[in-house]
Amino acid sequence: MNSNQKKRNFQIEAFKHKVVVDPKYAEKTWKILEHAIHEIYNHNASGLSFEELYRNAYNMVLHKFGEKLYSGLVSTMTFHLQEMAKTIEAAQGGSFLEELNRKWTDHNKALQMIRDILMYMDRTFIPSTHKTPVHELGLNLWRDNVIHSSKIQMRLLNTLLELILRERTGEVINRGLMRNIIKMLMDLGPSVYQEDFEKPFLEVSADFYRAESQEFIECCDCGDYLKKAERRLNEEIERVSQYLDTKSESKITNVVEKEMIASHMLRLVHMENSGLVNMLIDDKYDDLGRMYSLFRRVPEGLPTIRDVMTTHLRETGKQLVTDPEKLKDPVEFVQSLLNEKDKYDKVINKAFSNDKTFQNALNSSFEYFINLNPRSPEFISLFVDEKLRKGLKGVSEEDVETILDKVMMLFRYLQEKDVFEKYYKQHLAKRLLSGKTVSDDAERSLIVKLKTECGYQFTSKLEGMFTDMKTSQDTMQGFYSNYGPELGDGPTLVVQVLTTGSWPTQPSVTCNLPAEMSALCEKFRSYYLGTHTGRRLSWQTNMGTADLKATFGKGQKHELNVSTYQMCVLMLFNNADRLRYKEIEQATEIPSSDLRRCLQSLALVKGKNVLRKEPMSKDIAEDDTFVVNDKFSSKFYKVKIGTVVAQKESEPEKQETRQRVEEDRKPQIEAAIVRIMKSRRVLDHNNIIAEVTKQLQSRFLANPGEIKKRIESLIEREFLERDSADRKMYRYLA
Amino acid sequence: MPRASKRKSEPLSSSNAKASRVDSSTAASKKPLSKVDERIIGIFHNYANKSLEMIDPEGIEALCSDLGVDHTDVRILMFAWKLKAERQGYFTQDEWLRGLKALQVDTINKLKKALPNLEKEVWKPENFEDFYFYAFRYCLTEDKQKCIDIESVCLLIELVLGSKYKLLVESFTEYLKSQSDYKAINKDQWISFLRFCQEVSFPDLENYDIDQAWPVLLDNFVEWMRERQR
Repeated sequence: MNSNQKKRNFQIEAFKHKVVVDPKYAEKTWKILEHAIHEIYNHNASGLSFEELYRNAYNMVLHKFGEKLYSGLVSTMTFHLQEMAKTIEAAQGGSFLEELNRKWTDHNKALQMIRDILMYMDRTFIPSTHKTPVHELGLNLWRDNVIHSSKIQMRLLNTLLELILRERTGEVINRGLMRNIIKMLMDLGPSVYQEDFEKPFLEVSADFYRAESQEFIECCDCGDYLKKAERRLNEEIERVSQYLDTKSESKITNVVEKEMIASHMLRLVHMENSGLVNMLIDDKYDDLGRMYSLFRRVPEGLPTIRDVMTTHLRETGKQLVTDPEKLKDPVEFVQSLLNEKDKYDKVINKAFSNDKTFQNALNSSFEYFINLNPRSPEFISLFVDEKLRKGLKGVSEEDVETILDKVMMLFRYLQEKDVFEKYYKQHLAKRLLSGKTVSDDAERSLIVKLKTECGYQFTSKLEGMFTDMKTSQDTMQGFYSNYGPELGDGPTLVVQVLTTGSWPTQPSVTCNLPAEMSALCEKFRSYYLGTHTGRRLSWQTNMGTADLKATFGKGQKHELNVSTYQMCVLMLFNNADRLRYKEIEQATEIPSSDLRRCLQSLALVKGKNVLRKEPMSKDIAEDDTFVVNDKFSSKFYKVKIGTVVAQKESEPEKQETRQRVEEDRKPQIEAAIVRIMKSRRVLDHNNIIAEVTKQLQSRFLANPGEIKKRIESLIEREFLERDSADRKMYRYLA
Repeated sequence: MPRASKRKSEPLSSSNAKASRVDSSTAASKKPLSKVDERIIGIFHNYANKSLEMIDPEGIEALCSDLGVDHTDVRILMFAWKLKAERQGYFTQDEWLRGLKALQVDTINKLKKALPNLEKEVWKPENFEDFYFYAFRYCLTEDKQKCIDIESVCLLIELVLGSKYKLLVESFTEYLKSQSDYKAINKDQWISFLRFCQEVSFPDLENYDIDQAWPVLLDNFVEWMRERQR
């Protein structure tokens, strides 16, 4: 190294190559290139050497003639595009678009070749000078010189819109050509597509559909209109997929939705004879489904349908529950409620795609009108009664479940569930005591359903009734195994021991039983009390039944199935031929209203008139006389007389039940108030009302006035006091 | 004071009488009586029933005629309030002593002159409510009685509120007599009616808010009024 450091400075000189630049070099080279561009546009490119042209362009850029090359390109291309524009302008009628398309294809091909030649410029000169790249430049020049040329721009737009209009009116157009032209506009940039086509297209479409919908709505019914609107909507969607920008889809569908649906929504749903209400009435699932899917697309569309449906439902429901004809037959009444529910369930399922909001509207409507009729709870219970008595005979277990589930659904709508419970208890009692229930399983199944719905409390008494029935059976077995032998051939007694409290309270009026019966009853009483100390038995003769073997004048033998009261009356005739009303009343001590009814069914019902009344008149009078009807005949051996069937309550009975219900509610309301106040200590009036109502909702709808009265009663009894400062507040007094 | 309720009051039960007698004797024995006290007690004995050691209804009638006021006058009720008299129609010696000392009077004549001031005192807002509640309590004559029958309540309302809320009281008593839901008025309803007088504009009843915690009785009254105004 040291030796190297000795002064041996050695230098390599750069090779001085004298580049003699031909002053005309740039001009000459550009001429070559310009010529080539001309040739390309004239479809003579086959004779050109791309390698040479590329090199020339390369050299020009290298020798800092890029600027000249670029500006030359701009002017040459502009020249050709202007030429093309002239040809396009000259094209007549239908060939206009084709010519435009052809020239566009030519330009694209040329542009491709030119860009290849000028590749070097595109890569180095253009980025460094921030000029527009060749391809883009070509498109811009096309846009400015062809598309935006004054004679083409409007013509192009009008032609496109005209074609679309023709297609809308049913003609077949050249979709391929359309697609190419639209594609061209899109290639020229989103703003060109939007400004030169899409915006006017949407405007024209809006006008078109506004006019068309106006025309349709004047002459079509609702269903047809919706069909047309749906078809239009699908056409537009298809058009977009065929030859428009996919981004246009939502825009054009919006136009159709707005013009064809949103603007006419109310008119459509309320259209006379064919609107929504008619569709609902006639179960037009297709039309309804169409309306749903179309209206769903516009704001406020579904609420509009829902509101109309709700209003209609409430109105028809109200008519249904207040129709005096329907009120005559409780079973029919409930059946029509169920039918109505089925109908709308189906509509919502088939046409409204099980929309939750529609289901809610349906439920709230039912709740609204079912409770308009205070007898609904009674009627629903009667419906169940009818079903469980005979209606379910021979029906499969599954179908029974379905029916019970439907009943439960109606039950859920009831605000006064406690009233239902009252009636249900009464009806169940009658079913159980008369042995008329069809299926024990069905009875129990319904109880289980009520229990899951309302809790243990609701059904505990009902279940108690079933237990009593079972226990009574065992008791009777015990009784007969003890006394059986000594009773001999006498009458047979079946006693059902009912726990007080579990069963509906009945006025306990006893009548005088025939001697042989009362002896037997006494025996049972002593047996029962002997096994159960500390209990009390009282006879409910108004609820029993009896089977009597009777022999009439000419020896006709029949078995009569009668009530206990009727049995008492008939047994009197074992010892007498004729009896006056007064005598019967005295002997039996049956309450007079019951006695009249029982005599009526014994003497005045055709085919069951085992007694004869003198004089023969329709009503039972105090001084009537009764004799055994010797000529009684019936084709049946067993004759059933005047069975006790649960019936719609009479007006006074209804009032009485109502009163009992109101009385029962008082302690429940008070208990709720105390519960709430115990935990809250201080609470204002409105909140108490709200909370009490909420707590009791599962049983009944508490009346605010009644709650207020209960609060006052509690104030009087010093459970609560009013706050001395704040009017609205109550305090709990521990 | 409603006379009807006065008649209802029975002679003291023996246990009560004893208790009050013991009270008065112990109170008296504690300290010697002042001159003023003696004079006041002297007046007491002028009216008191000797066997009961209390001023009884008869004594009160005598007192009233000496004072020159009717025994049904509101001022007598105010006097009872001042005495804090426990039982309607009776003043004990303690009550009498307390009351007259508070009024700073020791002769009948002074008492007569003190009545107008007593009336003014009662009408002061801070006293009136107490007086109003007292009036109700004072009319509960029976053991465990909690309500006052409609007829007596109407008289009582007229007595205590009639001068201040004339029209309202007239309407209300008319309503009470015409309705059949309530046979008697309890303390809550009594108190609420005073608030009603003080807070609700009458006769338009515009600011009556049914959602507030008014007793149903007043709701019904308002409804009745509106019905009538229609």
